[in-house]
Amino acid sequence: MNFLILVALIFSPAIARAAEFGKAVKLQFALNWKAEPEFGGFYAAQLSGYFQKRNLDVEVTEGGAGTPVVQMVANSKVPFGIAAADEVVISQARGTDVTALFAVYQINPQGIMAHPERGFKSIGDVFNSPGTLAIQSGSPHTLFLQSQFRGYKVTFVPYAGGVATFLTDPNYSQQCFVTSEPLIARKKGKPAQSFLIADAGFKPYGTVVITRRQYVENNQKQTRDLIDAVREGWVEYLRAPEPANNLMVKLNPAMDGDTMKEAAEVQKPFILGADAPANELGKMTIERWRKLVDQLYDIKLIKTKPAADKLFRIF
Amino acid sequence: MKPNARMSSLLPPLLPLFVSMGVFELAVRFGWVPSYLIPAPSEVFRSLIDDRLELATAAWTTLSSALVGLLLSFTAGTLFAIALSSSDLARRAFYPYAVFFQTVPIIAIAPLLVIWFGFGQPTVIASAAIVSVFPIIASTLLGLKSTEPALIDLFNLYSATAKQMLYMLKIPFALPQIFSGLRIASGLAVVGAIVGEFIGGGGLGSVVDSARTQQRIDRVFAAVLISALLGVVLVGAVNFVSALTLGSWHTSERKSS
Amino acid sequence: MNSNLHPGQSKSGAAVLCEEISRAFAGTGLVLDHISFQIQPGEFVALLGPSGSGKSSLLRLTAGLDRADEGRLAIDARQGAVSRGFVFQEPTLIPWRNVLRNTTLPLELQGWKIDRAKPRAEEELRRVRLADFAVRYPHELSGGMKMRTSVARALITRPNLLLLDEPFAALDEPTRHALQQQLREIWSALGMTVLFVTHSISEAVFLADRVIVLSQRPARIILDSAINLPTARAEALRTSLNYVEEIRRILAVIPNPAANT
Repeated sequence: MNFLILVALIFSPAIARAAEFGKAVKLQFALNWKAEPEFGGFYAAQLSGYFQKRNLDVEVTEGGAGTPVVQMVANSKVPFGIAAADEVVISQARGTDVTALFAVYQINPQGIMAHPERGFKSIGDVFNSPGTLAIQSGSPHTLFLQSQFRGYKVTFVPYAGGVATFLTDPNYSQQCFVTSEPLIARKKGKPAQSFLIADAGFKPYGTVVITRRQYVENNQKQTRDLIDAVREGWVEYLRAPEPANNLMVKLNPAMDGDTMKEAAEVQKPFILGADAPANELGKMTIERWRKLVDQLYDIKLIKTKPAADKLFRIF
Repeated sequence: MKPNARMSSLLPPLLPLFVSMGVFELAVRFGWVPSYLIPAPSEVFRSLIDDRLELATAAWTTLSSALVGLLLSFTAGTLFAIALSSSDLARRAFYPYAVFFQTVPIIAIAPLLVIWFGFGQPTVIASAAIVSVFPIIASTLLGLKSTEPALIDLFNLYSATAKQMLYMLKIPFALPQIFSGLRIASGLAVVGAIVGEFIGGGGLGSVVDSARTQQRIDRVFAAVLISALLGVVLVGAVNFVSALTLGSWHTSERKSS
Repeated sequence: MNSNLHPGQSKSGAAVLCEEISRAFAGTGLVLDHISFQIQPGEFVALLGPSGSGKSSLLRLTAGLDRADEGRLAIDARQGAVSRGFVFQEPTLIPWRNVLRNTTLPLELQGWKIDRAKPRAEEELRRVRLADFAVRYPHELSGGMKMRTSVARALITRPNLLLLDEPFAALDEPTRHALQQQLREIWSALGMTVLFVTHSISEAVFLADRVIVLSQRPARIILDSAINLPTARAEALRTSLNYVEEIRRILAVIPNPAANT
């Protein structure tokens, strides 16, 4: 009897850890829009078991217009989420300690789309001609463009998502993801001409994975594992997007399989870049974050400049 | 009003306001409540002052849209109610549609309004009018139906025409009810205008939209505060006209003096 | 509206001719059961009955505000002119009009211009002793003053048939007595036919030359008799023996005394 108790005491920590080791860690991963090729790599990681093999049980949840992912992450409602790079900067400037771990797009696919008949050659043309431009008011890219093209002639109207008005009004231009809305518009009979906002000088990383800085401190291994899995997922999605696309089509009826296939193809050059060869997908540099901080400060979105090294972590 | 009387009527509503503002201020300053959930009152005030010009211009745009929308809904609603009141058959035929249109959520049809009226004030005015028309129809109908029967007898005794009955008896008798409906409608007109502005652009609605995008909750609160004030202004205007028109004879006016 | 009224054709020359009038209402059943009577021009007739006996319904039929189910009701109406005046149980004044404009209402409804109607209204207000209150509003008046305005309004079209539906029932006794006096004086001066509905025997006896008593529902006439009192009705009459005797006589025919003082 005493011998057994002794054995139990000696081995109990190991037994406990073994029990824990068996269970996968449940994590939520909050997207900020519906399932689209923009998030293909995350679903690919899930489908190919890259999370599971690292003992992570990751649930990817879709978002929609106005989903407050940054708040959800900052309040520890979810450990990981998707946000725009400027949201990270603005949050840090206000004292909310979130940080970026992985950037899906090296080149931000945010753009402006217009009807080709207008004959525009650049975003400047859109701004300096009459007509309407639907753009999210108060957004960093909006404020940036408005300060770039000060004498603008175009009329700004609220951006409501989708392409409904674009299809019916030839004088209507709107913001878009160049890998998404123009394809939908062309499918519906109205091909569009799109311009990258990056070409006008505003180049934040696109679609970044965020978490709380404190969470990273406390869960370094887990975070590293997650990002490794994400990276593998994106490599897989670039190679073979069909499985993830099939899943996303079921989740998001607004996009059909053909459009997803095309979008997945069109977005490839935005994901790969000089800074991020295939084995280093998602990596970010401090220079680009600094530049973003300066630009956001210039358009008065932030009143103080947060330290650039707080804004992201490399794994 | 004597100074003491004024104090005793202002103090009760103001006291809870000051106390709760103080509590919130401390809660945010000491970090009990994160500032992206609720902004400190001091931040809201600073936003009100810093952005006063922009807020004032936006408020004026929203107010003018709400006012025009209210005027439209008042005219259309009153005429519609008068038409329905003079024919039982008409009322049974058309009133259910009025009820139906009231229940359609404006946020769902606002994008349609943009397609029909275009961006800018026309859509905003349409939205304000649609949202505010039903209370006017309902209370005007009620007022027209609730004429004292003895007075109707009196008019019938002298073989009054339907027109005389309407203009000399029913409509003046219905005025208290009509103003009651107008009071409700004016608050709704502001709401309708702001919803219209979310989709159509301009005014306080776009200030809220822009502030929300930038996560400037203090600006959102400031704009919301101003829009509540607009509602108060409109209701106050209705009360003023009501007091002027109803004057000394209506008991509810008399009670309040 | 008055399909069984034939203007100027009361064959017997009566101001009001009521022949076998019956009226039933949904829910309450038969209210008036073959009522017949005649009223001569210039008579002051009291219609007496318990509450709910249908006397108000009968008055409304006479006013043309309702139609009988059976029978014939003829009043002597001047060609093309309304010659009925009606004083309701409640003063029924229009609250947003002052006393003067309340009084001119019947003429306005007939198309008279205000300026032409005003002197007439002032005349009637003098008659009911309300001339000083012409610009007051109903909510500023006492119950008795509101009732007097109602009387002035009823008189402004110079009716030859004045119908009153328990007009003084809600007033206090001194006011009631004063207004009864005034009504009798007005009748003396103007000479129209008066049909006065009441549930008070003493009021009926004091005011009228003739009393028609109705039974409980379904109402039939149980007494139609002249009142044996002098033409001039002074306050002193209320304590005279003749007055009390007439009241006793009426009381005797009424099965359940539902009347009050």
